[in-house]
Amino acid sequence: MSLVKVEKLGKSYNSQTKVLKDISFEVGSGEFVSIIGPSGAGKSTLLRCINRMVEIDEGKVIFDDLDVGSLNKKELRKMRTNIGMIFQHYNLVPRLSVIENVLHGRLGYKTTLQGVFNKFTEAEKEHAFFLLKKLGIEDHAYKRCDQLSGGQQQRVGIARSLIQEPKIVLCDEPIASLDPNASKVIMDYLKSITMELNITCIVNLHQVEIARNYSDRIIGLSKGGIVFDGPSYRLATDNTDEIYGTKTVETRKLVTV
Amino acid sequence: MEATATYIKRKSNGQITIKSGNKVERVIRWTLILLTLLTVVAFMFFNYAGLDLAKAIPETAYNLKTMFLEPGLSHFSWGEAIYQVGITLGLAFLATILGAVIAFFLALMAATNLSNRWVSKTIRVVVAFIRAVPTVLWVLIFAISAGLGSEAAVLGMLFHSIAYLVKAFSEAFEEVDKGILEALRSTGASWWHIVTHAILPSTFTYLLSWTFLRFEINFSVAVAMGAAAGAGGIGFELFMASGFYFDLREVGLITYMILLLAIILEIISTRLKSRYFPATSTN
Ligand SMILES: Nc1ncnc2c1ncn2[C@@H]1O[C@H](COP(=O)(O)OP(=O)(O)O)[C@@H](O)[C@H]1O
Ligand SMILES: [Mg+2]
Repeated sequence: MSLVKVEKLGKSYNSQTKVLKDISFEVGSGEFVSIIGPSGAGKSTLLRCINRMVEIDEGKVIFDDLDVGSLNKKELRKMRTNIGMIFQHYNLVPRLSVIENVLHGRLGYKTTLQGVFNKFTEAEKEHAFFLLKKLGIEDHAYKRCDQLSGGQQQRVGIARSLIQEPKIVLCDEPIASLDPNASKVIMDYLKSITMELNITCIVNLHQVEIARNYSDRIIGLSKGGIVFDGPSYRLATDNTDEIYGTKTVETRKLVTV
Repeated sequence: MEATATYIKRKSNGQITIKSGNKVERVIRWTLILLTLLTVVAFMFFNYAGLDLAKAIPETAYNLKTMFLEPGLSHFSWGEAIYQVGITLGLAFLATILGAVIAFFLALMAATNLSNRWVSKTIRVVVAFIRAVPTVLWVLIFAISAGLGSEAAVLGMLFHSIAYLVKAFSEAFEEVDKGILEALRSTGASWWHIVTHAILPSTFTYLLSWTFLRFEINFSVAVAMGAAAGAGGIGFELFMASGFYFDLREVGLITYMILLLAIILEIISTRLKSRYFPATSTN
């Protein structure tokens, strides 16, 4: 059974240009899917349509049998607790401690008053420490987030999304601001999430090689439309040429000259 | 060659312009020129009859000397003076604290990243209007219903403080990285959760420094209100000493007291900030 089903999705921020057009695909539980494509192809927008951080204009997104587009405010909050999100710039509150930032992932389960007065249960705090330990940053729990390295901050981001106990984690270029070593660590953690916890991962990437190595499946996006959708081993040079609108041979020539 | 040059803007002397807002700059320049001219002209229209500069300058100097080199009290005691300073501080404190609390909630509604467009616009316009009218005028307006005195002074100062702090606070809120808000929203957090867990921790030191700054302003306004609106406090004593008893020594002493207090306030605010909120000093 599919967890996310996107049907003929269309989106435009203004009347002139359509950012996404006629996008359809399905993603099952525990799948690791990469979305690749050049800057401005609409990868971030597509990801944000799934948890309705941007409004859906045309078509439908079905998540866990819910029509995302038709939910009211309260239902939407409830649905979002099932969807973790990880960002390129980590988006942690820099002045708060690591543990506080991780616990933010529980806010969706709280009433307004519980949340405002910091009422997190002992079980939630223990869960937070458990996750930090798994991610190897337990010793930084009481540090302020702005004192951590990029790779460590992204691991806090992962912990924040996992403490939500999500069914899916959406990652918007999670390694675009990291060096190769930290990138590998983060990608390995994301991979293990899908393998061990059977949580679906949809990852926006712009490194084709990494997408090929880690994902079960790759979706290629170009100018708001899907131009490739298949298992990662089937992605060939022709496909990447179409996605990035380049001719591999010519660019090679340019580089050698 | 010709075609590429069309994008380059040049001044009349042929130098390439690097600023884009030409119109704004012109308006600012003309405003400044006009204001300078008006100032000069105004001085020429003063009534100088009966003014003997040769006598006026030494007399002013003598008065200043009495005021600041021989200060002393004659119409009230030290205890009384300190009590009056306390009243002035109290007025300023009341107006600032109430103002800050109310402004906090209004600023949440006025910040474009936290509120809907129309609510935010409406609050901004109203607040801009309130700020455009000087505090003294607000005090006098409130005096119509509350009568001249400390109530009207506090209300007027409160009104202006709210307007001032709403602008400052809402701008601080808008500076919060929108990614952080997005991250919390994507976990299903509600609006109040976002305010308490992201907005407040990120802006708390700014809110605090703006409130301190406003307190300093309110203190000096409270002094003036004592004189102008009968709000009591040290300002009223200053008014009596200068306008009623013509006691220059007392004026001097009161001025020193106010100055001293302003310095103490400044020291306290700096200390508090570096002690409890080292974030601003390290960042
Ligand atoms: N909030 C927005 N308002 C207007 N246009 C936007 C907004 N967000 C993205 N866009 C436009 O949508 C297009 C796709 O952007 P995005 O989804 O961020 O692409 P990607 O993540 O693949 O780089 C771009 O042309 C961008 O300018
Ligand atoms: Mg993007």
